[in-house]
Amino acid sequence: MDMALKRNPSSASLVDPRLEAVLLRHEIETFNVRYANALDEQRLADWTEMFTDDATYVILSRENHDRNMPVGLIYCEGKGMIRDRAFALSETAMFAPRYLRHIIGNLDLLGDERDGTIKARANYVVLQVLFDRPDATLHQIGVYYDAFRRENGVLKLADRRCVYDNLLVPNALCLPV
Amino acid sequence: MAWTRAASLNEVPEGKALGIEVDGIHIALYNLDGKIYATHGICTHALALLAEGWIEDGKVECPLHQGQFDIRTGKALCAPVTEDLRTYAVRVEGDDILIDPEQPAAETVFGSRPAAAAPAKDASRVVIVGAGQAAAAAIRAMRTAGFNGSIDLVGTEPHLPYERPPLSKEFLLGTAEFSSSVRLSETDAVQLGVRLHLGVAATAIDAAQRQITLANSEVLAYDALLLATGGTPRRLGIPGADLPGVHYLRTIEDAAAIGATLDRAHHVAVIGGGFIGLELASTAISRGVAVTLLEREREIMARIMPAAVGRAFRIMAERHGVDIRRDARVIEITRRGARLGVVTGEDTIEVDAVLVGIGMQPTFDLALQAGCTTTPAGIEVDAQGRTSVPGIWAAGDCALYHEPVAGRRLSLQSWQNAEEQGAAAGRSIAGHNTAVAQKHPWFWTDQFGRNVQMLGIVSAEDHVALAAADEAGPGAIYRMFDKATGRLAGVVAFSNPQAIRAARAELDSATPFDPDIHGAIISSKGQDGADAMEASVMNANPGLSLTKRYIWPADGLTRIPDWVYTDQAIYEREVEKIFHGRTWNYVALEAEVPNSGDFIRSNVGPTPVVVSRAEDGSIHVFENRCAHRAAEFCRELSGNAKEFVCPYHQWSYDLKGNLAGVPFRRGVGGKGGMPADFRNADHGLRRLKVTTHRGVVFASYCDDMEPLADYFTPEIMREFEATFDGRKLKVLGYYRHSLPGNWKLYHENLKDPYHATLLHTFLVTFGLLVAGNKSLMLADPSGRHGVMASAKSDGKAVSSDAKKEMRAYKEGMTLAEPRFMDFVDEFDSPWSVTMATIWPNLIVQREMNTLGVRQIVPTGPHEFIMKWTMFGFEGDTEEMTRHRLRQGNLMGPAGFLGLEDNEAIKFVQDGMQRVPNGEHLVKLDPAVEAGTADNLISEAAIRAMYKHWRAEMGL
Ligand SMILES: Cc1cc2nc3c(=O)[nH]c(=O)nc-3n(C[C@H](O)[C@H](O)[C@H](O)COP(=O)(O)OP(=O)(O)OC[C@H]3O[C@@H](n4cnc5c(N)ncnc54)[C@H](O)[C@@H]3O)c2cc1C
Ligand code: FES
Ligand SMILES: [Fe+2]
Repeated sequence: MDMALKRNPSSASLVDPRLEAVLLRHEIETFNVRYANALDEQRLADWTEMFTDDATYVILSRENHDRNMPVGLIYCEGKGMIRDRAFALSETAMFAPRYLRHIIGNLDLLGDERDGTIKARANYVVLQVLFDRPDATLHQIGVYYDAFRRENGVLKLADRRCVYDNLLVPNALCLPV
Repeated sequence: MAWTRAASLNEVPEGKALGIEVDGIHIALYNLDGKIYATHGICTHALALLAEGWIEDGKVECPLHQGQFDIRTGKALCAPVTEDLRTYAVRVEGDDILIDPEQPAAETVFGSRPAAAAPAKDASRVVIVGAGQAAAAAIRAMRTAGFNGSIDLVGTEPHLPYERPPLSKEFLLGTAEFSSSVRLSETDAVQLGVRLHLGVAATAIDAAQRQITLANSEVLAYDALLLATGGTPRRLGIPGADLPGVHYLRTIEDAAAIGATLDRAHHVAVIGGGFIGLELASTAISRGVAVTLLEREREIMARIMPAAVGRAFRIMAERHGVDIRRDARVIEITRRGARLGVVTGEDTIEVDAVLVGIGMQPTFDLALQAGCTTTPAGIEVDAQGRTSVPGIWAAGDCALYHEPVAGRRLSLQSWQNAEEQGAAAGRSIAGHNTAVAQKHPWFWTDQFGRNVQMLGIVSAEDHVALAAADEAGPGAIYRMFDKATGRLAGVVAFSNPQAIRAARAELDSATPFDPDIHGAIISSKGQDGADAMEASVMNANPGLSLTKRYIWPADGLTRIPDWVYTDQAIYEREVEKIFHGRTWNYVALEAEVPNSGDFIRSNVGPTPVVVSRAEDGSIHVFENRCAHRAAEFCRELSGNAKEFVCPYHQWSYDLKGNLAGVPFRRGVGGKGGMPADFRNADHGLRRLKVTTHRGVVFASYCDDMEPLADYFTPEIMREFEATFDGRKLKVLGYYRHSLPGNWKLYHENLKDPYHATLLHTFLVTFGLLVAGNKSLMLADPSGRHGVMASAKSDGKAVSSDAKKEMRAYKEGMTLAEPRFMDFVDEFDSPWSVTMATIWPNLIVQREMNTLGVRQIVPTGPHEFIMKWTMFGFEGDTEEMTRHRLRQGNLMGPAGFLGLEDNEAIKFVQDGMQRVPNGEHLVKLDPAVEAGTADNLISEAAIRAMYKHWRAEMGL
């Protein structure tokens, strides 16, 4: 099922680059779907495992991003901090129960780096439902600026910067995006 | 003396001025109602000729900057002039005006001139202590009765005896001068053989030796002593009673100070609804100054007259626009910038000055020393003014009326009483002890264009009959009948002197009550009750609709009603009274607008403003609302501009908010366009006052806002400066979020250290804050600002007791990356964490090394927006910046703590939506009623905030 394992990077010449691109796109889209599912089901430990050990994960506003200001709603340097975030949210944080839907689309592959890092971007939408309101609200809308890397052949996020357009966060952001 | 001819009379027509030069001195001559005055010709402020100024009401207005001087006295009356003008003596001889450049005009001098001593021809020596009205009356009576011994008159005031009634009336209205109030002129003193000791108090008495000692150590022996020491105004016994701007009235100097105050004031508070209070209110109103009068009782004058008559006085005052608050408790007077705040149980009334008229305290310490019988109301005397000590008489305000009235000894404290008692004592001292027919006590007052007179002695309990169509109109006659005997006790008549003349006979004949002549008895009770109801409702919520009641729970500060957080009218009043009121509102950091032309959008309360830096480096804050059609013209979050142009019709404004250009202002082809008198200067953007401190910019709608340091108080300033320690700020980014709760809940959250140990499991688990940590919940004296402070400890220090208390404490939890919780001790402060809540819209966050300011932007009772500006300092290393960013995970709308607070506040607002008429309970830490708490299990700072809030809101 994991196509990446069957690929032999050293025999690139055997592979049609167009097919390669389709496979990679498929692979990342599949990754993003799983990522969304993990968050929708609030399996934060699984979500943590989708990052490399040295990964950075930051959620920041479009306003900060455009002005080169680094402040993030969530700002994690390294998997340890990502794990702490997951741990704190599931074990210590108090917030109203809710359902979330992460929808990821418009994936755009921005090319490979020499070290095997794959740059990509994708749009995302997070819908939130609180139990006492009939409507799902558009909780966040933005762009992922990503860098993927393979660890033991498995695709992982080495960097995900979630840049959101709706500058005014509705109340609180209780779960990652 | 060098009288010099200055001009001829016809050169100075009535109401005009003439500039001349005498001995090289510029002099202005004026003709006021046919009388000539001379002052120095040049304004004391700048080089301008006063003869070219505007003359009105005895004042000359400088043509250059519109400063004003009193022509008669030279007194500087208003800004920008502060220095009085020199005046010169004037004499008119035939058609010639003569002036003496070495001698000031008579009116400038109030003081006494050296007295000519009269030789004593008689062995008998009289000393009078107190050179007031009663003394003057006594002296005249003594001499008329043939007394030819010596008279020594001792007076603390430096003036010749003068009468006081004009002080609250004509003198303040400028229709009378001091000289016309003098009761014993210098010439009189010489003629009557009175030795004057003015400006010196009598300090001691030796009744056995019959000696008086003066403050200058002089000793005067007497055969007869008259105490005519009057009294002093009763003072308010509340904090702030002696602040500058709080005036009492007894002397000419007091009156001059009040007069000067009324020149500048727009709104004054009068405390006390007695005669003096009402006369002051009347004077102020007729001088165009708004008046709020505060009366402690149910009705004004209630202690001296029946409520029905007090009511008539009140209606008269109210018809003239005096805002009268009855049942009003004045708790404190506070400084509010250049103004004063009168804090009542319900409201804070902001005024330019406070005029106090709450009664008089008789002065009788010498009588006590001499052993005279006294009551707290004064010295006991008989009809001849004799006290209980032989050789000592007393008269006037310091003495009681000679007989009890309705069983009580009282002092009449009136002009007539001073005359009558003074004269009686004088005659008695001269040896005439035969009783003279007593006159009925009489009193008058002039207010609101009416002359009200009172004859007889009335008391609050009397029955009242009213003969009038209009209860407070001219002609109205009130007759008071003693409750027990049914006899006529007194008459009060509004602008009806004939009625008073007639009343003499009525009182003499003890006319029985006849409803046909006197009108029906108006039962004061029923009316009184209805009035009181009306009064308490009006006082409870001035300005708020009566159909909706906002009644604070009887428990006081330990309960907060839900309407505080949910009501639209309350919210609108908060915008007016708080955000647009006397507050400094955070708007930006200077680092956000470092260069000229830089601007950033911000808010003051809900109101959008622009913060801009002008070419000269100054920072300006103005409304983001076009002066033309209200368009919110600036749409970028921040940027750099040369000017602001409204996109709708291209009106342009400079960086200070002044209107620079209006397209087609003159129309096209001579048609259309703005009116000819349109001036750009009148149509700029609404500009706010601005102040900055340590790189933080504040704005205020209040024009005379006090300096920031005063607004903060030293405690809050210390914490503010611990965070803004002088290093240059570097903005690291923003968070913005909406919050579905009332804006005050955010302040409360940060004045509620109790929740920190219970809600924030994360904080407690990792030892950032535990119930036993060193901590402080500071509130400033006003209660509006606060600082929640704590010092970090490691989790190990938590005692097992404390752990049990805190459900939040979770054993054995560890972080994979604990370093983000490290505290780099970079501040000069014992605290590792401080959260300063600075009223009304700023929170300064120093959560170890993650720093930020949070700005509250309310949008309605149920929601506000929070803008966080996170910063570090210039010179931070890359690693330090990253440390601040990592630690930032604690705060903000996704912060480990931040998200929990936001959720909790939302829960509170949700909880109020569905339960009508609810209340909150804030009872923790009863040892502190409201204010600073030294422990975390306290809500005292929340109570302090509401104490302030209620005073500001008048609720
Ligand atoms: C503003 C104002 C308005 C008034 N309006 C009216 C009105 O409209 N109608 C009305 O009937 N009455 C009015 N009165 C009341 C009236 O003026 C007084 O009742 C009257 O002045 C009392 O005269 P007196 O001589 O007893 O006291 P005062 O005139 O007060 O004279 C007492 C003098 O004694 C001096 N003194 C005190 N102790 C010593 C000492 N130890 N040694 C030396 N000197 C001392 C004081 O400095 C003072 O100058 C008014 C009073 C005031 C203040
Ligand atoms: S509304 Fe601004 S120019 Fe007309
Ligand atoms: Fe909190």
